Amino acid sequence: MHLTREEERIYDGETGWANQKCMQILVRLGELFDADKLIPIEWAHVSGVSYKTLGDYPIEYLEALAQAGAKVKVKTTLNPQSMDERYLGRKLPKALVSKQLSILEQFDKMNVERSLTCTPYYLHKTRLNSHLAWAESSATVYANSVLGARTNREGGPSALASAIIGKTPNCGVHVDEKRTPNVSVKVEAPLRNETQFGALGIHLGKIMGEKIPAIRGLKNPSRNALKQFGAGLATTGMTNMFHYNVPVQSKGLEEITVEAADIESTIESLTTSSSKPDLVFLGCPHCSANELKLIEHLTEDRKVKHGVEFWVCTSCHIAKKMRNTVRKIEKTGGHLLEGVCTVVSWTEKLGVKTIMTNSAKTAYYAPTLNKAQTILAPMKQCLKAAFEE
Amino acid sequence: MQPTKLKGKVIVEGHCTGEALVTAYPISFLGGVDPADGTVIEKNHELHGTRVKDKIICFPHGHGSTVGSYILYSLAKNGCAPKAIVNKTADPVIVVGAIIAEIPMVTGVNIGKINTGDTVEVDAYEGFVTILARKEQ
Repeated sequence: MHLTREEERIYDGETGWANQKCMQILVRLGELFDADKLIPIEWAHVSGVSYKTLGDYPIEYLEALAQAGAKVKVKTTLNPQSMDERYLGRKLPKALVSKQLSILEQFDKMNVERSLTCTPYYLHKTRLNSHLAWAESSATVYANSVLGARTNREGGPSALASAIIGKTPNCGVHVDEKRTPNVSVKVEAPLRNETQFGALGIHLGKIMGEKIPAIRGLKNPSRNALKQFGAGLATTGMTNMFHYNVPVQSKGLEEITVEAADIESTIESLTTSSSKPDLVFLGCPHCSANELKLIEHLTEDRKVKHGVEFWVCTSCHIAKKMRNTVRKIEKTGGHLLEGVCTVVSWTEKLGVKTIMTNSAKTAYYAPTLNKAQTILAPMKQCLKAAFEE
Repeated sequence: MQPTKLKGKVIVEGHCTGEALVTAYPISFLGGVDPADGTVIEKNHELHGTRVKDKIICFPHGHGSTVGSYILYSLAKNGCAPKAIVNKTADPVIVVGAIIAEIPMVTGVNIGKINTGDTVEVDAYEGFVTILARKEQ
């Protein structure tokens, strides 16, 4: 891989330890994936923000970078955290709250924007073919497949390294030839709701491995549905891109067919409980403005059932723009959690045993990360379980 | 027996010999492996309940969360990391984890030749994985 003189100086440590460490990560990645050079990025998105998933040792890594004076060189956004100030921050033990805050402070020191969302694409716009370095697997798939931008599925530390250097290795889906599909998928199952789209992703991710599928049969999917599909795909696979609504089978490609039974059995396998949920959760990945509007509309003049928690997660940015909607959802007895991800929050410490959600990704992770039973069902069924008749 | 030598590509340099822990299924380190003690906790995974600590862990590639890199880092700091990572396909999330955790790693290896319990040598300078002894049946 060719490095400019300036990049070599950074690699050799002439601009300090933090820059050197980050450059080493990028060069190692670039060499492995046959990059010819580093290319400038417009935007980095960093994962590894929740204290629950990070734990103590990675905090030391972030502190070391911050202390060495590392600053991001490009627009850099942040994944969700484990709690919000208004609700969970008051219910959870003080020690956890202060650890979570200390993580955010390290990112503050590096000039990372406290965006706290897994859907950074609702905050800022990307251009066609923009080069990004995004961690958060669901956002990566969305950026490549729906927005037409370019990013590999970065690990948390490599996205941060790219942010600090302002560059990423020119490899993987940054390169034209690496964006072409290499497997053809025909979806014969009719997909009627977001949960089925998520389940399709979970099902295909297991089969795809790292391949890029060309998918036929999605029939004008909404962006919200594609968000659920991509989140599922990235959960069980390492695929970072798909092509959709491809009219004909690409010649010579292996063909996979998905039938209704595949979707049904995936949803069944992600439902581990037949009892009543004590938490009903919408907003994985974070709700878009129109999803919040829909929830507002569907819950108008209704009341959350006694003994059930109803959580809706979105970014601080969207919540701020839609104060009226937030107020209305909270009037029902529900909680609008800004900048929080339920999966990386401590639901088990709040006594939550069974989580009902419309997100296949959440249903996949919750049994281990939240030690919870799961019920996976579309939004309307979730609302039925959460609200009084 | 004649040792079987498998060629791969070096990701993180190092050299070690140890017991192989092999799976045909991808691993997500976040939610899949407990950073406190290295136990595989992913539901329905064939390695569920086993520990990666001090093993030469062989799996096709990673999947899922990009926070997995930090879990590898925590495992190393805790003394619960695998001795080496051997993959078929390089996943950026696993690669970056191995780099910051300084766990020897080789990719592009035909892991189907290795069985759990085999004694293997990982030469992550030259990029070879050698099966020194088969597990006694």
